[in-house]
Amino acid sequence: MEEEVLDKAVFMYLKKKGFTQTEQIFQQEQQSKNKNSSSSINATDVSLSDPDLAKQILTFSQSESIPALYHDGYSKLRSWTYSSLDLYKHELLRVLYPVFIHCFMDLIAKGHLQEARTFFNSFREDHEMMHSRDLTKLEGVLSPSHLEEMEFAHSLRQSKVNIKICQYSYELLLQYLHKTQSITMLGIINEHINFQVSPGQPSSISDDAEAFSLVGSGQDAANLINQKEIHWGLLEDSLEERLDKAGGLLSDSEKTEGDAKEGDLDENKKKSTEGGKQGGPLKKLKKDKVAGAAGKGARGEGEKASAAPRVKPELTLPTIPTDVEHSILEDLRNRVQLSNSTLPSVSFYTFINTHNGLNCSSISHDGSLVAGGFSDSSLKVWDMAKLGRMGSSMLQGENDSAPNENTLGSNGGKRSYTLYQGHSGPVYSASFSPLGDFLLSSSSDSTIRLWSTKFNANIVCYKGHNYPVWDVQFSPFGHYFASASHDRTVRIWSMDRIQPLRILAGHLSDVDCVQWHMNCNYIATGSSDKTVRLWDVQSGECIRIFIGHRSMILSLAMSPDGRYMASGDEDGTIMMWDVSNGRCVTPLVGHTSCVWSLAFSCEGSLLASGSADSTVKLWDVNTSAKMPKSEETRSGNTNRLRSLKTLPTKSTPVYALRFSRRNLLFAAGALSTNV
Amino acid sequence: MNIVEKESIEVIAQSIGVGNLSPDVLPSLAADIEYRISEIMQEAVKCMRHAKRTAMTSDDVDSALELRKMEPIYVASGDSLRFKRAARHKDLFYVEDKDVEFREVIAAALPKAPPDTAVVNHWLAIEGVQPAIPENASLEALLTPFDNKKPDYKEDGVSIDIKTPVKHVLSIELQLYFEKITDLTVSRSNSIIFNKALLSLATDVGLHPLVPYFIYFVAEEVTRNLNNFQLLFALMRLVRSLLQNPFLHIEPYLHQLMPSVMTCLVAKSLGNKLTDNHWELRNFTANLVASICRRFGNGYHNLQLRVTRTLLHAFLDPAKAFPQHYGAIKGITALGSSVVRLLLLPNLDPYLHFLEPEMQLENQKNESRRHEAWQVHGALMCAAGLCIYNQLKMIPNLFSPPTHAIWKSNGNDLTINPNKRKAGINNLMMEQTLKKTATGDGSVGGQHLVKVEVPGASSGFSITRGASDVGVHPLPRFLPNDTIPGSSGRRDKFGSVAQTSSSVAVARAWKKEINAGHLLPKLYDLFGESMLPFVLSPELCNIFI
Repeated sequence: MEEEVLDKAVFMYLKKKGFTQTEQIFQQEQQSKNKNSSSSINATDVSLSDPDLAKQILTFSQSESIPALYHDGYSKLRSWTYSSLDLYKHELLRVLYPVFIHCFMDLIAKGHLQEARTFFNSFREDHEMMHSRDLTKLEGVLSPSHLEEMEFAHSLRQSKVNIKICQYSYELLLQYLHKTQSITMLGIINEHINFQVSPGQPSSISDDAEAFSLVGSGQDAANLINQKEIHWGLLEDSLEERLDKAGGLLSDSEKTEGDAKEGDLDENKKKSTEGGKQGGPLKKLKKDKVAGAAGKGARGEGEKASAAPRVKPELTLPTIPTDVEHSILEDLRNRVQLSNSTLPSVSFYTFINTHNGLNCSSISHDGSLVAGGFSDSSLKVWDMAKLGRMGSSMLQGENDSAPNENTLGSNGGKRSYTLYQGHSGPVYSASFSPLGDFLLSSSSDSTIRLWSTKFNANIVCYKGHNYPVWDVQFSPFGHYFASASHDRTVRIWSMDRIQPLRILAGHLSDVDCVQWHMNCNYIATGSSDKTVRLWDVQSGECIRIFIGHRSMILSLAMSPDGRYMASGDEDGTIMMWDVSNGRCVTPLVGHTSCVWSLAFSCEGSLLASGSADSTVKLWDVNTSAKMPKSEETRSGNTNRLRSLKTLPTKSTPVYALRFSRRNLLFAAGALSTNV
Repeated sequence: MNIVEKESIEVIAQSIGVGNLSPDVLPSLAADIEYRISEIMQEAVKCMRHAKRTAMTSDDVDSALELRKMEPIYVASGDSLRFKRAARHKDLFYVEDKDVEFREVIAAALPKAPPDTAVVNHWLAIEGVQPAIPENASLEALLTPFDNKKPDYKEDGVSIDIKTPVKHVLSIELQLYFEKITDLTVSRSNSIIFNKALLSLATDVGLHPLVPYFIYFVAEEVTRNLNNFQLLFALMRLVRSLLQNPFLHIEPYLHQLMPSVMTCLVAKSLGNKLTDNHWELRNFTANLVASICRRFGNGYHNLQLRVTRTLLHAFLDPAKAFPQHYGAIKGITALGSSVVRLLLLPNLDPYLHFLEPEMQLENQKNESRRHEAWQVHGALMCAAGLCIYNQLKMIPNLFSPPTHAIWKSNGNDLTINPNKRKAGINNLMMEQTLKKTATGDGSVGGQHLVKVEVPGASSGFSITRGASDVGVHPLPRFLPNDTIPGSSGRRDKFGSVAQTSSSVAVARAWKKEINAGHLLPKLYDLFGESMLPFVLSPELCNIFI
């Protein structure tokens, strides 16, 4: 019987390959063989003597003829994985996703479009939770040419996926694959997955994000890049430092902080901070305080965090006028110390009657100016100090039926804002200079414009990007700014030149957001390729790649001590990164929708996040940053993140957040009617 | 399975004039189009994200096409486009596209310009605590997220303690509400919807931020519209509703509110037409004032003092008009019998001397003024009667027999009394309207009418009197007609009080009550014969109060 089947398989193979003559001969031979079946014993013996070979011929014939083999192979692998021991299950599950997408792409590449569709749709639910965005991308692929064309698919095909797996799980998997003779699966796994087999116990589930990622350049490259040296310390001779030295006016806790500064052990440290050698006064807005009231406790555990090393600026920084310096110093003295027990006050600016046209919002450092970029190409700036006066007089004086906006609207057409017109496309981002005298805006018309808030006029138009500019940010010291664009580049500019100073290329997709490091020597960028990168401003090199997000990055924030960075994505996940080693400190989960904005409090003890789910959340940074040092992350489920407070707004997605120098939190958002 | 079927490609090809498309091309074209569409949609998602939205609009698709350097489709943006599912087709959608008559569009008035963008400021949190202002999400919204949350991420600071800030900006909803209410008050206070509005004011939570605005509105409108009776009454009803609302904290605004309320009580003229029943308004307001004093008197220690001072001032000033006097008397009456006793009664005698001539036809030719005087007189009677009645109430054994007496009286009396009681229950005004119509039609004056009604009244009178074995007291000359039928056993009790010296039992009772013992004889001495009318009214007052 077996022989017959085998013959049939061979016959089918010949037919399929179009070897008609061979087929005929084969047929003739078969017929002659059947005639004298008694004499065929020998032949049968021969064939039986090599059952393995026969089996292989059979499977070979199957795989060639039925694309559904992928389907079967995958579904068997899947059910085997799901029924495996819980201990190894989560490790084995990681294997499924790459196998799944490569099966799909193989089917596409071989031209079985309908089968690929069926396959895709029957198993996509398994991966929907983790990889929904990739799946929607891949879903569109419908022909081999698309595979070539689509960058994402292309990079997937080219690179291997790294999967960390323990010895035993690995052996289990191999054993299964051999036993079931699923050559197809074995082939895919062999071709596209790179196992990093580690001895010992299987790793915990919580490491999932790090353990597996699909990036074009691959984890290896990222690891290599992340080896590079980084000087994440703060600038020496900052205003805050001088304030600390001046001493007298400060609280005890801050003084001890100053003392602890010398205890710096970080190998990345470039320079200790004894004495301000720098001649020109440098403006420094934010400082390396993990401190405040809660800071003492934090310092006990890790000295690194408490005292940041000092570095010299690599850019020539602008000087600041003394009166401004004095006002900043005054602000610093009056700063409210925030901690997990003393939460900030939040002043909320609500945009009303935006008709869905508000694209972005920005708040000046003192909270007095609020800018809104609109889809009708306009940029509008409200002077809240002025409005506030009018509002309060209204409340005290004539308590009339008409509140602010109505009065202002009807007051002979007098507008409550200053209108900046110049862009020819939706304005996607706006950024105030630290002193509030300039405003930058970026638009889909691929330009960046500089506006003077003093003269209410456009001063410069920076052309350089070829595609919409998604984000623009002033450096913490002003003068320099960085822009991020759909053309996948980041450009660094200075106000006095119309050409960019640096072009940073490397992201594999749109660069969606950009943020300066506190010491102005680095720039962080978040992209649709789901990575965050850190760039050296001076050399223009990428020096860190942060991998872990599952969707596009929408917002970034740098901690005032320069060591940590927070990034928020489209799914509502916020990740806290350690800049020094490029690792994720902890994911902060809580938001249910896009995180539009992130801000660290001035002494770095709190992180505020504003989201499309109409909430502002406050997170305790001290606890979340401490954890990895005390190795508590390894133990898994200790509440790694600490959400201190959720402040819901009234159907107002939060577009922008800003801590003032005195630690008052400003937030802005557009009242939306259809949330 | 496919989003774009090859049949649709065929149709599209034909529609643009490509007839000879080979059938082999169709599937691959369909697949390619599908791929392109999904690509564009992914770009559109990016544009949507950068416009900080979570819902895609046609603008996003246009921007995505521009990103690809393609001509946008220029679809109308906004909510005007709504895709409808075609009947009986699962995946077929269409946009309803109505034919619009050009003439209509041209003839139609220009649509209102959309309101301009503005920024309003409020405190989302003060030191981490969210104040309970309408700009912030309500408490329910605060609580619900915690319910769906995974237990791991329970927040530490779930406590929702609420602070009220000093300054606030009104939300749009509240502004609308305020405008609606004020509009109703000004223009449509007769409508049913205004009653609904008052009910809403009296019961709704979260109106607190509007309180200062309402107070200001009332003050403003009262000063400007003293001759608009309708509006004044509506305003007072609005104030009453505000006071009824248990969620409002009115006390801080009382100093702003009181002047307008007092104005409606003791202003010289309220409304300009004769038909305007300003007496009713004054009565209403008097009760309002009294309720304010009762509610806030404890916390606001000089409130009642100031109110009574104002009222007394208005009452004692002979230069002021009778309506003002009336209002003052009503106000004092509403404040309670002790106030009446302390403030009104000592001044009653001189005042009556002042009032008396005005009420007589011979001395006062002006009919309306005489009418006013009668009104004041009625109010005084009511006040004094209330006072006395309350005094009497403290002596239970004096209180009970009279009621008995009524029931014992004959049928005639019985038919009269319940009617009057009912009238009293409904409104004290009844009495006055009755009086007014009486004076109105009997243009000769009140005295004629007295004669008309006296027979029925006196019959009831004599019977009750007989039952209580008290001698008949002669009626005063200018006794108002309608108070007589209202008389009951109570009055003849007082008749006996009037003759304190003769009734031993009553005198003994008086001595028990120190206050009453002091007051009532004195009162009687003061008023002499005119006492009797006051005696009549307590029954009514009692019922009313």
